[in-house]
Amino acid sequence: MTAAALAGPGFPRASLAARLGGAGWLFLAPAVVLMVAAYLAPLFDSIVISFHPNTPQGIDRAHWILGNYARLFDDYYATVLLRTLRVSVIITLLSVLLAYPVALWLAELSPRGQTWAILVYMSPWLVNTVVKSFGWTLILGNSGVINTGLRAAGLIDAPLRLMFNELGIVIGLLPGHFLFVLLPLWAALKGIDDNLRWAAMTLGARPGTVFLRITLPLTLPALIAGAIINFTMNMAAFAAPALLGGTRARVLSFVAYQVNLEELNWPFGGALAVAMLTVTLGCIALAQWVGGRLR
Amino acid sequence: MKRALTALNVLMIVYILAPIVLVVWMSFTPTMLFRIPITQFSLRWYYEVFSYSAYVDAALLSLRLGLLAALVAVAVGFCAAYGLVRWKPPGSAVLMGLFTAPLVVPAVVFGIAMLQFINRIGLYGSFTALLLAHVVLVMPFAVRTLQASIQEHGPELEWAAMSLGARRWRAVMLVTVPLCLRGMIAAFLFCFLISFSEITVTLFMTGPAHQTLPVRIFNYVSDRIDPTMAAVSSMVVLLTVVIALALNRLGALSELKK
Repeated sequence: MTAAALAGPGFPRASLAARLGGAGWLFLAPAVVLMVAAYLAPLFDSIVISFHPNTPQGIDRAHWILGNYARLFDDYYATVLLRTLRVSVIITLLSVLLAYPVALWLAELSPRGQTWAILVYMSPWLVNTVVKSFGWTLILGNSGVINTGLRAAGLIDAPLRLMFNELGIVIGLLPGHFLFVLLPLWAALKGIDDNLRWAAMTLGARPGTVFLRITLPLTLPALIAGAIINFTMNMAAFAAPALLGGTRARVLSFVAYQVNLEELNWPFGGALAVAMLTVTLGCIALAQWVGGRLR
Repeated sequence: MKRALTALNVLMIVYILAPIVLVVWMSFTPTMLFRIPITQFSLRWYYEVFSYSAYVDAALLSLRLGLLAALVAVAVGFCAAYGLVRWKPPGSAVLMGLFTAPLVVPAVVFGIAMLQFINRIGLYGSFTALLLAHVVLVMPFAVRTLQASIQEHGPELEWAAMSLGARRWRAVMLVTVPLCLRGMIAAFLFCFLISFSEITVTLFMTGPAHQTLPVRIFNYVSDRIDPTMAAVSSMVVLLTVVIALALNRLGALSELKK
């Protein structure tokens, strides 16, 4: 042990591993056991349950069926799925549109200013979703800030419907997930060699052309990867859509809540979970593929 | 052009901060109703909060859960990060994927799975089950923060300690742990904040016995709105701001920027 320890940083990796030896697994074992027992096992069990029929006596583990998945295509669930997709895509598109002006503005600030501005843009993600949603109900509700203000100004007679619909979900969800488009884009923007832009400008390119021919192509992979992550988060969001969408605009995650905790139909609830998991993992794989291809 | 960018960003910042600022502002209203503008300020609802056992119990449960989950996650996560950094086992990427999976897999999916699983093994409504779920949920933040922290310091000092006769475990405890103290504090705060804010998985798996603060606020917001909620929410915001500033100071948030 002593001789090996004195060998210094240039020591080959194989021997380094050998010195930790069996102890390496001991360090990793608690975390692995925890994640397998309290994470993978429940997820796996949920997938198994989704292939069993639900009976009044409970889950019938003796029989295997695909009926829970067929039910996903019923009109009601298809409508909910379409709404969830629509809302998620709108939020992602808005985030992408807003990310460039924000990232370009950030890049112009002093390093200190950047740190603070990023902390501000990060804050909706750090602050509790329920607290934020409560704040939005105070702003968007029938007697909220906007409607009260507009009525006092004599601009409207009846309150505008700003929440308990898809609009409310979009307004409430956008800030919390915006960060996941902004940060990768900002990192990519900082990575661009300034000389490229200078070179283009000395050759007579205008700012718009520089953006389209240099900035946009070089940041596109990061933007697309961020947009896909943003989309999966929009699809999976639960508390904010539940509070701001109300009964008129139910999204997939809320229906999953009703099926599991109100109907207590766990096999079908499991099928909903598997569907959401598949969509998410598919999107992540797509993001990685796109990232790898464009780089 | 520059002025237009600044104007857009100011609007954007007003938009994202509006709900948070409004909640805090409203918590100082002296009346039962939210009416704008507020001309008088009062701490009445802050006093009321402490006489509502529903809020106090929920807050205590959330604190206990967050502190314990952060403690377990930092201990287990530190060992795991240490093993990954120093040992570089075959399949490191797979292990890292396992530890950070809760960031990727939707919370709703894990919530459903956990609800079904704890019922099957007879742990429904138990604090232990809730704690385990929270440890899993904060694990990515613990492992990533601690991995970065351990990587900052090479193994040379541990080797020095071991060359003087310390065993591996003693060298880690006496040398590496103190060196990584900043990272451990950051990881602890990060884990606590994530657990303290968690709603989705908790709502799916809690019985009526264990309503954390976010779950309680969620149930109230869907029901009725009264100013005590603004006071509770403001205290949550204050705690979040303090932790976020500390994390920023410790450099833990820059991890996210990568």
